[in-house]
Amino acid sequence: MDNTQLLLTLLVLPLCSAAFIACFLRRSKWGGALVSTTVGFVLMALALVFFFKWDGATIQQSWQWLRLGDISLSLGILVDANAALMLLVVTFVAAWIQLFSVGYMDDDPAKGRFFAGLSLFMFSIIGIAIADNLVMLFIFWELVGFCSYMLIAHYFTQPDANMASKKAFIVNRVGDLGFLIGIVWCYHLYGTVQISELAALIEADPSKMVTGLGLCLMCGFLGKSAQFPLQVWLTDAMAGPTPVSALIHAATMVAAGIYFLARIFFMFTPFVLDWIIWSGALMALLAGIWALGQKDIKKSLAYSTLSHLGYMACAVGLGMPALALFHMAMHAVFKATLFLGSGSVIHACHHEQDIFKMGGLFKKMPITGITFLISGLSAAAVPFFAGHYSKDAIISQAWNVNGVVFGMLLLAAVFTAVYVTRLFAVAFLGKPRGEGAEHAHESGFAMTLPLVILGALSLGAGWIVYGWPLLPQVCADAIMPAYHAFHGSLVEASLASPLLIASIVAALVGFAWGILYYGKSREDDPLKQKHPKLYHAIHQHGWFDVVYDWYVAKVQQRVCDVLAFADMLVSGLLMMRGSATVVAAVGLLARISVTGNVRVYLYWFFAGMLVFMAFLFKFLF
Amino acid sequence: MSYHYLPLIAVLVPMALGLFLLWQGRLGTRATQALGFVGFLVPCVIAVILWKNFSCIPPSDLYGGFAYFGDFDTGLADFGISLKMGINGIGLPLYLLAGIVGLAAGWYALSTTEAPKFPTYIGLLLFMQAGLMGVFSTIDIFFFYFFHEFALIPTFILIAFWGGRGRRTAAIEMTTYLTLGAMLSLAGLIGLYVKFDVQSFDLVQLKNALAGAGAVAFAQDNWYALLLFGFGILVSLFPFHMWAPRGYAAAPTPAAMLHAGVLKKFGLYGLIQIAVVLLPEGAKDWTNTLVILALGNVILIGLVTMAQRNLKIMLGYSSVMHMGYAFLAVAAMSVAGYSAAILLLFAHGLSVAALFMLSNAVGRRTGSFDMGEMGGLAQKAPVLAAFFIAAMFASIGLPGFANFWGELGVFLSVWAFKPWVAALICLGIVISAVYGLRAVSRIFFGQPSKAFEKRFEDTEISDITLGERVPALILLGALMVAGFCPWLVTDSVNTAYGAAPVKACAAGETPVPVQPASVSQ
Repeated sequence: MDNTQLLLTLLVLPLCSAAFIACFLRRSKWGGALVSTTVGFVLMALALVFFFKWDGATIQQSWQWLRLGDISLSLGILVDANAALMLLVVTFVAAWIQLFSVGYMDDDPAKGRFFAGLSLFMFSIIGIAIADNLVMLFIFWELVGFCSYMLIAHYFTQPDANMASKKAFIVNRVGDLGFLIGIVWCYHLYGTVQISELAALIEADPSKMVTGLGLCLMCGFLGKSAQFPLQVWLTDAMAGPTPVSALIHAATMVAAGIYFLARIFFMFTPFVLDWIIWSGALMALLAGIWALGQKDIKKSLAYSTLSHLGYMACAVGLGMPALALFHMAMHAVFKATLFLGSGSVIHACHHEQDIFKMGGLFKKMPITGITFLISGLSAAAVPFFAGHYSKDAIISQAWNVNGVVFGMLLLAAVFTAVYVTRLFAVAFLGKPRGEGAEHAHESGFAMTLPLVILGALSLGAGWIVYGWPLLPQVCADAIMPAYHAFHGSLVEASLASPLLIASIVAALVGFAWGILYYGKSREDDPLKQKHPKLYHAIHQHGWFDVVYDWYVAKVQQRVCDVLAFADMLVSGLLMMRGSATVVAAVGLLARISVTGNVRVYLYWFFAGMLVFMAFLFKFLF
Repeated sequence: MSYHYLPLIAVLVPMALGLFLLWQGRLGTRATQALGFVGFLVPCVIAVILWKNFSCIPPSDLYGGFAYFGDFDTGLADFGISLKMGINGIGLPLYLLAGIVGLAAGWYALSTTEAPKFPTYIGLLLFMQAGLMGVFSTIDIFFFYFFHEFALIPTFILIAFWGGRGRRTAAIEMTTYLTLGAMLSLAGLIGLYVKFDVQSFDLVQLKNALAGAGAVAFAQDNWYALLLFGFGILVSLFPFHMWAPRGYAAAPTPAAMLHAGVLKKFGLYGLIQIAVVLLPEGAKDWTNTLVILALGNVILIGLVTMAQRNLKIMLGYSSVMHMGYAFLAVAAMSVAGYSAAILLLFAHGLSVAALFMLSNAVGRRTGSFDMGEMGGLAQKAPVLAAFFIAAMFASIGLPGFANFWGELGVFLSVWAFKPWVAALICLGIVISAVYGLRAVSRIFFGQPSKAFEKRFEDTEISDITLGERVPALILLGALMVAGFCPWLVTDSVNTAYGAAPVKACAAGETPVPVQPASVSQ
């Protein structure tokens, strides 16, 4: 089997699995879980096989798919080092999360639907990773959106899941609107949507870059990665099952936006890149603060995801897409662990998600506790943990480019340490404060094994920068040259140590602040008790939802209602009934003449005679 | 094997069976079902065979681009009218659509045995089907019109007698509009006959006359206006759309499936196959008017759709909205535009038929079409919910279903013509997502609403039945096949417009009118 066939198998296999489960294993208790998880591990194995076989040369092939007159669209694969990295991350994380789901969803009656959804998602995300043109990217872009919708709506009887699924898809569609306009524009501007052809065109003549086009394409990223101003859907999406939050809304799908930016990086003018920097830095900082305003463990983690996506976007804007992808990979590992850890906790506490009703779980759930701690430290970029290598590099790059951005990112790093400490201290330390936490015990093997594997990687994945003996060189090629060159330049400018110290200090300040503030076991958020107004402001996360809700209810709905009324009035009443009224009025007039009175008829007769005579005279004489 | 008689057989079989059922009005249910099934299956099988075989036909066997040519004298030869059957690449996708939707609607109708006067009901539907198979397989524009009326009149009767609430008003309203539209287009067609003066209604001969004399000789834009508005009214061009939502809401479901799914496409098919080909100069003059009106379809009616509470009326409006895309693709006047329009019509026909059928299935379970009186239905009918969601996502253009390619093709071809229009109609993807997802959430997700609660608790609400499942599978299956392999639909259209790609008209330039390749015989 050559590489192309291998990649196509990788793409089609999960689709077959999804179709098979949907058709035949819908009611089966464990069948869907078995098929989907097996396929998940096969995918991981195939991706690894691919790595060990691949020589690092870009694989490209495309097939014409649709021709409409002179418009020709094709589907194809384009796998370079970035795509290979994305493939490895996605299949690896997904396989373990699927195994975790088997334990987490054990009492769910609709496992078939759930696992079919996961398989379909794998198909879509792999499609994004290997797509060779913008149209194909858009196709799978929409499909991951659909999978996200379907899986958020898994508990569809719950009102919040019902609302959140709808919101996620529609907000994503708003982003996709810009993306779609960008694709259509791109097709007519350059005559192609093939990424490699576009790259060649723009490399040959950089003046062909268009700012507006870059902004349009960026909209796709804003929707999918939940960046300003479309970030509102991500926290609501936590209404879905926790493995879904881990896989789709933390590790892979939202990060696909970053992958997309890196893939078409050459199309962005400095203006667009500046936009991405500022929006990313702002998101990194604000979401870090907003994470402190949520008592729901998953929502707090969702803001953490937003914050880290802000970091990655910033890295792209700062001109280092390789660093963004590095952080994407590290983030996928440690954020998946954090979410799975929260899932393990939620499962143990009988679906209690409020951290202030937990407490004292470290002793009862040691494996979950330790892995949560490791991944938390990784998120806070403590040296030697995975997150450190990538996040620190991004902050350092910000120092090279812009002092304000550097300050924002560093401050965001402080808040990362604060919210991580808060989550860990409140949920795992102290005494149990709720019914669920009292009776909690460690989760089963299917859930702890993924935690251990991903937790170990949250610690060790970053050591790849020192070179891993086992891993093929090809895999490291995606990130390492850029990373080492960048790191070398820092060392040369003797900035490496000061910047490292700065980021360690930031983390330490955050930890100290977190322990002092949240260390003592409490029934409620101390910030809420001491400064209720400040807490409320953080909790409202920028009042975006308030404004959007107002717009939907008070502007959009009213405009639609008025238009519907006008439509009814004009085309329904005036045109339809209007023509009927004319006919009726003629009939009414005619009826007046028919009185049944002989004298009246006589008058009519004479009148008619007069008219007739008048005509006669006119024409005869 | 010669296939030349098959198009005629596809018309005659349902017609004969329909006549028999009307004449023998008291046939038993089983016998009616058997006869009806044959009547719907035969056209579908023939459509699939003809579609499959189309690409294998050598060009020498074509009559002006039309395959399966057959000339049958009907005694009207003195007027230049004879029943000339034949299908070209433009009509082929719609012919296939008619066969597939016919089978699905027929199956659904045959499962509703509780309908009063069941054999008559089926007989009328078979008449519709006969007309539908005729419309897309005739070369003579007199019969083109004739078959449309032949399918339309049973529609009115079906609505007026077998319809739901408000059926009389809806039937009268629909009749008025559609008769007006048909009259205008008839006037336009007769105008063509007079103007071209070739003593024939044969489309191929008309095209040859045009090719001989040059387009400018017939540069008379008012005739085109007659055809544009006549056909436009039949496809619910804004602002002549009011018949559609209310008519479909009141119509019995199989009739709504056949009309919204297939018969309605007649107007756009007429524009593409006849009007813009024979009157390119007129089409050019009217293209700006058409753009403005079609924008009304997409944007204004899209927003109106978002305000609807009644499920069936919402679907009616959404179908009006999607027709706007097709009109814009026609206004672009390029091969890409016409092909995209045909692909979109094919996809839309399947998805709207599926949605009308599934929404009727929903209404039978909730006892109402008001979306405020539903909720939580997925708990009781998960498979129905899955089918409905699939059909709804197909209709809002999710990749994997044919509609996506159609809409994308429309956006791409319209951008070449007027970029700002294309950018504006892209808004449609958000608008349709809003109303589509809102409907799904109100019907299937959450908990039953107050009005639905009692029925939800007390009565036995079944999941999808066999009579609903088979048509849904046929329609969604076809949508997915065309969604994964769109070339199955578009290859024939490309053949019809010539193998060599036609140069696109750049933005700002006057669009070059496009002629089908094989004009001369």
